[in-house]
Amino acid sequence: MSCGVLDEEEFSRCCQLLLHHSDSVGDGWSWEAVQSSDEGYLKKTVLRSVPADQSITQKHKESGSDSEQFDYCRFKTEEQGVNGSADSLRPDVEDEDDCVCRAPGGSSCSSVLQFEYHVLYSCSYRTPVLYFRASTLGRSLTLEDVWNSVHPNYRLGLQSRPLDAITQQEHPFLGQAFFFLHPCRTEEFMKPLLQMTWDQNRPVNYVLSWLSVVGPMVGLDVSLDYVTLQQPTV
Amino acid sequence: TWGGFYVVGAYKMSDSAESPTETQKEEIHPPPDDSATNDDKKKIDVLLKAVGDTPIMKTKKWAVDKGRTVQSLAQFISRFLKLDATEQLFIYVNQSFAPSPDQEVGVLFDCFGSDGKLVLHYCKSQAWG
Repeated sequence: MSCGVLDEEEFSRCCQLLLHHSDSVGDGWSWEAVQSSDEGYLKKTVLRSVPADQSITQKHKESGSDSEQFDYCRFKTEEQGVNGSADSLRPDVEDEDDCVCRAPGGSSCSSVLQFEYHVLYSCSYRTPVLYFRASTLGRSLTLEDVWNSVHPNYRLGLQSRPLDAITQQEHPFLGQAFFFLHPCRTEEFMKPLLQMTWDQNRPVNYVLSWLSVVGPMVGLDVSLDYVTLQQPTV
Repeated sequence: TWGGFYVVGAYKMSDSAESPTETQKEEIHPPPDDSATNDDKKKIDVLLKAVGDTPIMKTKKWAVDKGRTVQSLAQFISRFLKLDATEQLFIYVNQSFAPSPDQEVGVLFDCFGSDGKLVLHYCKSQAWG
């Protein structure tokens, strides 16, 4: 590994080590092979209770004329204009029948969501990439649910340029709509870390280090006991 | 491609944090020469090390409440270094692993502390996007 990136072979090696540890502690990661080849990706499914954020709903209602339209939103695959100032999505009128119904006054309760996380390798960026999607057991999903899973520590950075951060993307292998955390920043934040550990002759598991950073950004927790992971032999 | 997230108001990372010169004085302070005032039961010693071209903190050793979270510590360091809102600070244990922002430093100390202190590396980066 060098300069903040890694090749696909090393990606696979790092993933296998991660899987080995996951198996030993029952953390739930699995490897999805692609066409019986060495190529594949990591996958994990998590159930999470996500409270709908009432303050966000009410704040938005006060902010302007767009707000009344925005009691709900949908995952969409077609192009959608983004309001430059408020970054609000316009509701999809055709889907009105399927939209989330919020009780008057913006009251909300928590719901159980199923989050699915996939770690793929990006050949163009030469880094891992995190894909994720969420589905609900019982009610239609809102964008706010996914947004609420983003740790507050990272919301500001992600909010400032949402189009560059979390966007909807077609899963390269499944062809289904997922969200993904754009890999454009990965090399930049991995590079100093890798340089330091390289200088000190302490190679790290790239995928693990990367995942520990980006996971919390999208609600995925990576347990501390992964630190005991053996490093891949170079 | 799909348009993206909507943004509500201006969420400030430092909303919940006080200025370093006020209440934080009680919680984080350089260990005094007379170390007897450091309550072993409540605080742990943290040694902060910069990664890459992240500015080095003038004071590297801090006594931190065990219950303090990684996120809180990251905010403290960000303010101390006067990072702007477009910059993100990452904290690592064992030089390789970013603990969850909600993780308590006391737990990190129990897992990774040695010689009576917890070494944490910190690194700044451009916020996503």
